[in-house]
Amino acid sequence: MPLINFGSILGFAEGMEKQNLDFFLSAANTPGCAAYQSLFDGLIKNSRKHIKDIQRTRRENVTEMILESIEGFFREPFVLETKHAPGMDVDGIFKTAGTLIERSIRYYGEAAVKLKGQSEVSGTLKNLGKKYKRDLDKLVK
Amino acid sequence: MTLPVIKNYIDGEWVESNTEVFGDIMNPALGEKIAQVPYGTKEDVDMAVAAARKAYPEWRKTPPITRARYLFRLKEAFEEQFEEIAEILTTEQGKAIDESRGEVRRMIENVEHATGVTTMMTGYCLEDIAKGVDCSLQRQPMGVFAAIAPYNFPGMVPWWFLPYAIVTGNTFILKPSEQVPMTQAKVFEIIDGVGFPEGVVNTVNGSRDVVNALLDHPDIEGISFVGATPTAKYIYERCGATGKRVQALGGAKNIVAIMPDAKIDAAMPSLITSFFGCAGQRCLSGSILAPVGEVADELIEKFISSTKAMKIGSGLDEQTGMGPVISGAHRDRILAYIEKGIEEGADLILDGRDFSHPDFPNGYFVGPTIFDNVTPDMTIAKEEIFGPVVSIVRAKTLDDVVDLINTRGFANAACVYTQNAAVVRQFKYQVNPAMIGVNIGIAAPMSFFPFGGSGNSMFGDLKGHGREIFQFYTDAKVVIERYF
Repeated sequence: MPLINFGSILGFAEGMEKQNLDFFLSAANTPGCAAYQSLFDGLIKNSRKHIKDIQRTRRENVTEMILESIEGFFREPFVLETKHAPGMDVDGIFKTAGTLIERSIRYYGEAAVKLKGQSEVSGTLKNLGKKYKRDLDKLVK
Repeated sequence: MTLPVIKNYIDGEWVESNTEVFGDIMNPALGEKIAQVPYGTKEDVDMAVAAARKAYPEWRKTPPITRARYLFRLKEAFEEQFEEIAEILTTEQGKAIDESRGEVRRMIENVEHATGVTTMMTGYCLEDIAKGVDCSLQRQPMGVFAAIAPYNFPGMVPWWFLPYAIVTGNTFILKPSEQVPMTQAKVFEIIDGVGFPEGVVNTVNGSRDVVNALLDHPDIEGISFVGATPTAKYIYERCGATGKRVQALGGAKNIVAIMPDAKIDAAMPSLITSFFGCAGQRCLSGSILAPVGEVADELIEKFISSTKAMKIGSGLDEQTGMGPVISGAHRDRILAYIEKGIEEGADLILDGRDFSHPDFPNGYFVGPTIFDNVTPDMTIAKEEIFGPVVSIVRAKTLDDVVDLINTRGFANAACVYTQNAAVVRQFKYQVNPAMIGVNIGIAAPMSFFPFGGSGNSMFGDLKGHGREIFQFYTDAKVVIERYF
């Protein structure tokens, strides 16, 4: 399904962040991850902040001009099915977290280009991608 | 199932109208009733005016910076409930959710602009206009103002007026459109939470009886209106008869000119938004597409292709580009215009008459419709259709387009797509409409510029928002003084 406008791009980002948050929350509550509590607490805090950033960006930047259609951007490459962390071992949790973060980096990179005409929006998306790159570096056992 | 009934907000309380007549509020995508609105009475208006009048003396004395602080709180509350307001708006009006978000944004921008009251409301003075004599001008609020809002922008339009009226020290009564009162009911819930003094802001729901009661009420100083031209004219005349200030914004027949040097591919998304955004139910919507010279065939081919790519459906679906029109009656009116276009000899090159959405069979949808070879004398080139119907009038020269624009009677907005500055200069110099877009399809002034047309598109002197609105809501008092 195409992501054809401002709302659908930001809407997908919000959904993606909620999925990330759900997974990080479940990982933090998994006994096997107790040693990595501060890591997952950090990811949870960041995801919550990202959701607020996306909602604020959408609120503050939606205008008639931004309703103009966008071409060549599709949600399928960014859709991930995830299991809940309690059913996984620690390796599986780290692998899934890494996959989710890599997906987010890719999405924000491409979305920032698609919305480059809106520098505030594009800048926010780029920043979110950068933050996830830092998170990915921290994601080591 | 019992439907919720919208209440009036008067003197800081939610009160039921004393009417026995109610109308249905519909979800236009579903064609289903979602609530009921009271068709209020003169007594409802009297009660609101009495409350507003009672609140006025203390509110007037409240320092402007303090009044502005209420608006700061309101802005924050709107931001917090932004999505909820947008969803209600789409549910009752039908427009795409991003359009509703954009509308709520515009609403908030008016609150933001109004908070500049301590600069915008200041007067001026000059010493020694004669020897030892000084002169100053100060702006004073006047009393109770009211606004009558349309159905196409249930969120934004009331806020072209309300924040400016109250921040300048007046008190206010809003009559939302009876077709879409739920958005402002939600907004007034938020207002209630912000804690304005009782009676400063009020809302009375209803239809013609409420409008007439507002127009005739001796304790109302001025009226703002947005809607169709015949009603705007009626309101202007009736307010004149009762000595009120008035700004009555009417309909439009907006022309979008495409010059041979226009960058068509870059222009296309904004053209589609111009003609089909809000299903064409905007006073700034493009209505006539006027390609000049040899650009016509390429433009029309690409325009049709982009139109066909647009997704039509429920406004709550993020993918939707165009939602339904407001009502079954309005859909029938638009369809009648399409029949008229065919009857008068225009070429129907994209026919939206039989559009039906499989998931929303009872929704009030009209598919995008395009006529080619429309001539200036045809009905569809003269009257406001207020729907997703495009009339293409092929022009030979820019002069032809200027002539076309200046003979419509309406003079709200006009747009030109070109890279040529000389063309732009001629266009903006010669055309009558008061809102001009250059490579912009919707020439919508933001809150800090005035909104309003000319000709049959606006009756009154001072336009909506911008700097002028601070003049509309204040009286200029001049003091000439000397001391012995």
